[in-house]
Amino acid sequence: MNVFEIISNTNIDYKEKKHLLAQAAENTLSYVNLSVKTEKHLKKGILCDIFEGHAPYRPRYILPDYEKYMENGSQYLGIEPPNDLYDAVNALMVIYQFVPSITGYPVYVGQLDYILEKYIDTVSENEARKLIKMLLINIEKTLPDAFVHMNIGPKETKAGRIILEIERELKKAVPNISLKYSKQETSNEFAKLAAEVALEIGKPYFVNHEEIKNILGENYGVASCYNTLKIGGGSYTLVRLNLKKAALEAKDYNDFIEKVLPNVVDSLCEVINARAKFIVEEAKFFETSFLSKEGLIDINNFTSMAGIFGLYECIEVLTGLKLGHDEEAIKYADEILSKIKFVIDSIEGYGCYGTDGKIGFHAQSGIDSDIDVTAGVRIKIGSEPSIYNQIKTEGALHKYFNTGVSDIYVFDKTAKTNIDGVLKIVDAAMKSGIKVFAMNTSDSELIRITGYLVKRSDVEKYNRGEALREDTVKLGAESIKNNKTLDRRVREVE
Amino acid sequence: MKGFINRIIENSFIDGPGNRMAIFMQGCNMACLYCHNPETQRMCNLCMVCVDNCPQGALQQANGKIEYDKTKCIMCDRCLEACKNFSSPKYIEMESDELLKIILDNEIFLDGITFSGGECTLQIDFILEVIEKVKNKTSLTAFIDTNGFTDQESLDKLVKCVDGFMLDIKALNDKVHKKLTGVSNKPILENLEFLSKTGLLYEVRYVLVEGFNDSIEDVKEISYLIKNLNDYTRLVLIPFRPFGVKTELSKLPPYSKEKYNILYNEAIKILEDRVIEKG
Ligand code: SF4
Ligand code: SF4
Repeated sequence: MNVFEIISNTNIDYKEKKHLLAQAAENTLSYVNLSVKTEKHLKKGILCDIFEGHAPYRPRYILPDYEKYMENGSQYLGIEPPNDLYDAVNALMVIYQFVPSITGYPVYVGQLDYILEKYIDTVSENEARKLIKMLLINIEKTLPDAFVHMNIGPKETKAGRIILEIERELKKAVPNISLKYSKQETSNEFAKLAAEVALEIGKPYFVNHEEIKNILGENYGVASCYNTLKIGGGSYTLVRLNLKKAALEAKDYNDFIEKVLPNVVDSLCEVINARAKFIVEEAKFFETSFLSKEGLIDINNFTSMAGIFGLYECIEVLTGLKLGHDEEAIKYADEILSKIKFVIDSIEGYGCYGTDGKIGFHAQSGIDSDIDVTAGVRIKIGSEPSIYNQIKTEGALHKYFNTGVSDIYVFDKTAKTNIDGVLKIVDAAMKSGIKVFAMNTSDSELIRITGYLVKRSDVEKYNRGEALREDTVKLGAESIKNNKTLDRRVREVE
Repeated sequence: MKGFINRIIENSFIDGPGNRMAIFMQGCNMACLYCHNPETQRMCNLCMVCVDNCPQGALQQANGKIEYDKTKCIMCDRCLEACKNFSSPKYIEMESDELLKIILDNEIFLDGITFSGGECTLQIDFILEVIEKVKNKTSLTAFIDTNGFTDQESLDKLVKCVDGFMLDIKALNDKVHKKLTGVSNKPILENLEFLSKTGLLYEVRYVLVEGFNDSIEDVKEISYLIKNLNDYTRLVLIPFRPFGVKTELSKLPPYSKEKYNILYNEAIKILEDRVIEKG
């Protein structure tokens, strides 16, 4: 859309128009300087900057140190350190309006349970509930973006419980929630509550606290789409590599691993570094942001992210093997990921002080327009093997990623009656190396009742009957069709 | 030794406590009208009917049994529908060590294993062998899902090594029981008493079938029976579903939710939190 089209469009509201106009203005500049070969890769769609714009003027993801903000208040915002829960909630609602990101909404709203717990006893329990509910509703209404992400845990707190209970009641997509989960630190009761809520509303995700702590230290946050980054830091940019498209460029597997892959990963790093450099040196972000001036972010905690997706199809294209089913496929997966990691680590990451000077490696979990290509290193939707094999296969691959990797596991409804069983699987997944475990239940009515098997033909019969009875097909969203989300394997029929 | 296994469900939340691997053994000694898995009841007699009915050519007779080619199968279940013998061409013969390997490979995911069926106690020697091996190597628990129509000797052996039993009671009225299952409920009720005393009777299951065993009195009676039996066994009330049923009961509609709720509430009055709802 050109500027006039944006302004005269009747389908876009004021706020969105402003966002698009800013983007249009940014894109009147030429793209940050790139080599010819790298431009080609971007044009072909082998690399994709996920619509970040030509001349970035703020980091893609920022994780302000909200705890510090609560301790010191903010001179810039004219906010005093809070004395009670009223002040605390207000202080948070204020600062969220001033946290830049790629979407215009903060992708990280903080470790809210720990932050609020400090003030929880300044009011009655009833008031605390009301205030926290108000905060959560405020976030949902003023930051209506599914990438807005809150963290809780690993330890159980009163505030953490209240947050889960209220979210369960509100049933809204925003904010996203991650539970930092640790067998050692998270109480069984809290984990159970979280799992119950997750089976009902798809969040919180279970984040492998012990693993991620080992990589990033205790002070990390989960932002946006499963990105694990240092608090007080963030990521300048996320550029992703479509492994399927890259594979289609190769003559054969050898050509891919020896030539095509190193070449495109080199380009990937080039785009990333050029963008990061632009933010720091041209846009002078750290010299202008109050977050930086007041110490709520520090360039030393920042990094960039190199994302990949379509590993499943890449292996299929090059070898004919199916990840998760053919045992040999994992060997290729390992080799491909090691190679990418090797190339990334051989290049200096501009300003990537938060991850030892190297660009972070990220398994990108997909965007709406991805058709016929699987997110990150996941197994294709609908083709997942048994849940244990899925976890074992993916767990072995999660080790390569230091800035985010995840998968979603879908259980049938019986899971809700056996939370201990669900947690057993979560624990095993953590042991198997899964870094972020998202879970959900199929809303299928047909489940194994008790002690008997459900046959596929019965499920189909049932589904046919179901479609006849209820033709309110509310599943129109294109993204659902495109990425076959509903075909995701439900663990009910073997 | 070898066992005949209809199917293994690696991840089950409903066959005992925690996450379990459920192993469905082939063969049964009852023939319940409402059996949801009639294909587990009998052993194959090589009549070949299923072979002729498979649209994919996935089945053929070889080496004195029906060979099943998984890669060709489209899971249409026509073979199961066609089999007049309440059997399946797909059950497999497996060495205890093979089964043990599947269990050990997935040990970290599991709280335990559950033998179900069919009637698993018909293959008592096989399951004892597997359980012994599993217990030697892991801390997994072993549960038995049984119709209770089994002999004292088998139960004596089992109570020594398993961690819990789930037992089906089909009806308390013996006439109804005979109609539903073909056998008397006497030995089953005796076994119920016996298992209760061992402290291992984790759960009793009762399927509500319209017009057979679902009066308020019926539900009260089974609830009192469990209540007076001991202070720990839970009662699971299961609504009838026609899925998979191969007898005249396949025409019955799924059990009404409203009726179910009424009966469930009756049971709660007697058993409180010891009654478990299955929706
Ligand atoms: S499975 Fe049934 S139909 Fe097939 S050969 Fe055996 S008895 Fe006959
Ligand atoms: S389900 Fe049975 S009939 Fe259908 S393709 Fe498979 S083997 Fe053949």
